[in-house]
Amino acid sequence: MTMTDTALSAERLAVPAAQPKQGPRVWLDLDQAELDAAYDQSKYAPNQALVQARRLVLSQRARAALGEPQRFAYGSSEIEALDVYRTRQANAPVSVFIHGGAWRNGRAADFAYLAEIFVHAGAHSVILDFTNIDAVHGDLMIMARQVRSAVAWVYKNAARFGGDPNRLYVCGHSSGGHLAGTVVSADWRKDFGLPGDILRGALLCSGMYDLKPVRLSARSNYVKFTDEIEHELSALRHLDRIACPLLVAYGTCETPEFQRQARDFAAALKAAGKPHELLVGEAYNHFEMLETLANPYGLLGRAVLAQMGLSRA
Amino acid sequence: MTKQPQPRRPLELSRRALFAGAAAGAVALAAEPAAAQRCAGPPPPHTKGPLVWRDLDKEELDDAYDQSVYAFNQSNIAERRRASSALALSILGQPERVAYGPTAIEKLDIYRTKRANAPVAIFIHGGSWRNGRASDNTYLAEPFVKAGAHYVMPDFINVLDAGGDLFPMVEQVRRAVAWVFRNAESFGGNPNALFLAGHSSGGHLGGCIVTTDWAAQGLPLDILKGALLGSGMYDLKAVRLSKRNQYINFTDAMEEELSAQRHLDRLHTPLILTHGTLETPEFQRQTREFYAAVKAAGKPVELRVGQGYNHFETQETLANPYGLMGRAAFEQMKLLA
Repeated sequence: MTMTDTALSAERLAVPAAQPKQGPRVWLDLDQAELDAAYDQSKYAPNQALVQARRLVLSQRARAALGEPQRFAYGSSEIEALDVYRTRQANAPVSVFIHGGAWRNGRAADFAYLAEIFVHAGAHSVILDFTNIDAVHGDLMIMARQVRSAVAWVYKNAARFGGDPNRLYVCGHSSGGHLAGTVVSADWRKDFGLPGDILRGALLCSGMYDLKPVRLSARSNYVKFTDEIEHELSALRHLDRIACPLLVAYGTCETPEFQRQARDFAAALKAAGKPHELLVGEAYNHFEMLETLANPYGLLGRAVLAQMGLSRA
Repeated sequence: MTKQPQPRRPLELSRRALFAGAAAGAVALAAEPAAAQRCAGPPPPHTKGPLVWRDLDKEELDDAYDQSVYAFNQSNIAERRRASSALALSILGQPERVAYGPTAIEKLDIYRTKRANAPVAIFIHGGSWRNGRASDNTYLAEPFVKAGAHYVMPDFINVLDAGGDLFPMVEQVRRAVAWVFRNAESFGGNPNALFLAGHSSGGHLGGCIVTTDWAAQGLPLDILKGALLGSGMYDLKAVRLSKRNQYINFTDAMEEELSAQRHLDRLHTPLILTHGTLETPEFQRQTREFYAAVKAAGKPVELRVGQGYNHFETQETLANPYGLMGRAAFEQMKLLA
């Protein structure tokens, strides 16, 4: 490690790297404490609460500017509903956003600030609500089933809000990046009776694509992993079902595991010959990455608008 | 005898920031204007010395004019700016570079838009008056160019090369603005649609520009149709008392002439002022008091506060039409996001 690397690490991170190993390795070169930290954003993002506070303020503002969204139920329980921020164009493309929050937190209304760039660029922005892991006693399958059925609902009902079902895109961040991974690797035909290619493209940002190390980490304290959950909800293990181009993104100030998950997933997509692009946010941490989606000239906003064919000349 | 601040290592800053994250996040929504958030929960042990400015002792005042004490991620943001500017340059292509004055540094970069007779945004960079080059900020140009405005960024001397004198910096930036007015048509710009933006020490310089006696140079009083001044300094008295006087040779004339707040009679440009709630207490105060003074003088001014943004993060928002500063500039220039 060079002096510069050391200085940058010290500046960016308040944690581990330099700490001596406390115990045996449990995953790659990480011991238990290191693995736990690598799945705990607060250990690597000192400004987590600040970025969250900004998001809430900006989302309030966006809802005031755009007007309250149309809200549709996509399932039987109360939480299974989605917000639609409509663009003016008829038969417009649709972007579906799946929020993060370690599978435990987050509501659609608090991510309204992501809608504005889509609406102004001529796409509808759909932001999903879905259950959280604590409300379903640790069963991640229920969350995945909800977001998959939400996307299926949007495909079948896009015309109700002026959307073009044949131009359907998905974005997810953090645990929402994981869930978006389960969406792009869903078995649409078997589970929903839909064509396998209902999605035109997706952005998976700062997510998890293989659950094995997550299962080994402290997250297993609140996620009741089973072999079935680990296997079915690891997008990396279902590359054959992926039928749309993917943008996979991470920031260089994220935890080592969140960086590795994205790199390994991109490498697997490459090996499988699946169209994809790996986006690296230099000097962005986990939470700052998402902020770049709210900017047409930010790392994620630029890439997603280009994917949807909505870039400004 | 005042106690000098101890040098702080980057790691300490990170740790201070860690605490501040939680503390500031909790209060960011609570109050407006929010209290300044330091990069630490419990402040470092400090025995209050004699007050040198308002309720601040020397160490507190020095810290309040040192962004690194309050912005833990300064170096990360610099890194992001470099990467973003390199990308923007690859998209926009090299700017036209034109001399606006006799010395080598007096050149400006023009990023042209396609629209004819287009409005022009002029950006004055910051960097404590010591650092920064136009080419570091290419990332700010793209949203404006794509929205139909030319983006002009002057280079100008830094205070160290000027022997601690701020006047040459201000004179150069004034010359640059005058050059743009006189030559806008040469690059497809509308001389009657010039707008200014500045951040940090560039906000200070911007304040000096909008209070220029343009008539004395035979130029229209409203040469600038609007200005967006972010996170700047508008009265130099407090700055003069701070440790910044170690590299700026303040004089009474400099303090008086280059404090925009004292020359509001010469202000003929509508202003939008911005700051973040996580900036130093003095940088928040400077903007608040300038806003109050301009308003009291009956001149058009608007204050926009970025909840949860520090000094450097506020500038990043200028590169986003939906961000704090970008939205303000687009509205001012009537550009569509």
